[in-house]
Amino acid sequence: MDEGKAKIIDEIISKYASRTGRVLSVLEELQEKEGYLSKESLKYISTRLNVPLSDLYSVATFYSFFNLKRAGKNIITICMGTACYVKGAPKLLEELEKLLKVKEGETTPDGSFTIRSARCFGACSMAPVIRVNDRTYGFMSPERLPAFLKLYGWKQG
Amino acid sequence: MISLRIDGRLIKAEEGERVLQIAIREGIDIPHLCYHEAFEEPYGSCRLCIVELKEGGSSRITTSCTLMAREGMEIKTDTPEVIKHRKLLLELYLAQAPLSNNIKKLAERYGIKGTRFHKTLNLEDPLGGKCILCGLCIRACREIIKASAIGYIGRGEATRINTPFLEENPDCIGCGSCANICPTEAISFEDRDKRRIMRSWSNTQVNLKICKLCGHPFTPEPLWLKVKEKSTYTPSEEIEEVCPNCRIKIVSKRLVKPYSL
Ligand code: SF4
Ligand code: FES
Ligand code: FES
Repeated sequence: MDEGKAKIIDEIISKYASRTGRVLSVLEELQEKEGYLSKESLKYISTRLNVPLSDLYSVATFYSFFNLKRAGKNIITICMGTACYVKGAPKLLEELEKLLKVKEGETTPDGSFTIRSARCFGACSMAPVIRVNDRTYGFMSPERLPAFLKLYGWKQG
Repeated sequence: MISLRIDGRLIKAEEGERVLQIAIREGIDIPHLCYHEAFEEPYGSCRLCIVELKEGGSSRITTSCTLMAREGMEIKTDTPEVIKHRKLLLELYLAQAPLSNNIKKLAERYGIKGTRFHKTLNLEDPLGGKCILCGLCIRACREIIKASAIGYIGRGEATRINTPFLEENPDCIGCGSCANICPTEAISFEDRDKRRIMRSWSNTQVNLKICKLCGHPFTPEPLWLKVKEKSTYTPSEEIEEVCPNCRIKIVSKRLVKPYSL
């Protein structure tokens, strides 16, 4: 664990003094800062908060909000909720995997895109819905995907 | 003291005692998987221990491991309704743990041989096809051994139990309490040479303590250290770090000596 990282975590921890809800708050803030929770970070937090690593790992794998792998610059999340699923989300995912040449959960080798899936963004009326980083796009179709990807610097090839 | 009836039998119990606990003590058989007397608090996850409770004119089905005894309660452990639910549960368990002999036996007792549900068989998971996620192993490791080496991973259908990052975990002391308490015999480990290998827990390896007399490994070293630290009993130097077999020899020699003089 390098000192810089340790300092970041110490700072986050110092903000949450109360015992209740501390673990989640700390993990959440670190996830927001770093984009993911590294093994080293979790181990460090475990000793600092005196919480077993197995607990932290349970929490980190339970909530889909947390990532254990470093994600790409742009995160594309496909909604697989019921409405979107019915409206063709699996086809979207298939096309996206074909275009980016990586599978769901993976990141492109150049580190620019990560594909994820989630359950219902609460925007079912616009199904099927995808999210790029924190923007949501409705009425998506496989045909419209390339144009969207280009907005985020993707080049066909 | 209060009194309640279980299957018609009048039984005395302490107020607040759990009905399953009382039944076990009285020799009344209620099937259960996630209850263990080692824990103060019941967990109520397996649902198999359901019974019918009649109280004040109404009746309902509830889990007996979580049910606190009250004066005048009437409990029936095997009404047709209870049996019906239990059978369905067992069918679900057969799908979740098709490789567990204990589950098969339990199901057979209720005349259930197959399951209509889709069988889960994740062969990448060392507990796959056996674990019912009752949580006993995690609780034993955490609450009793205080090692917290394992935990639930993921959620929903994909939930399983293992060490963090599916890597060897130095928090594990190799005590085997998890394997001991598991109702489906899902957990395995083996002692090879001077090490215990926790097969189910990402092959976590733990050193075994060597008997100073015969040189055989006899117990996981970290467990030995823990017991030594906790125990108020100090063994005489003669039997310290000696395996049970050699201890028996030493002690019996001591006992025999006066007569052989
Ligand atoms: S491994 Fe055994 S004790 Fe642990 S949760 Fe699964 S069934 Fe229960
Ligand atoms: S199902 Fe996709 S937004 Fe609700
Ligand atoms: S023993 Fe009561 S729910 Fe498992």
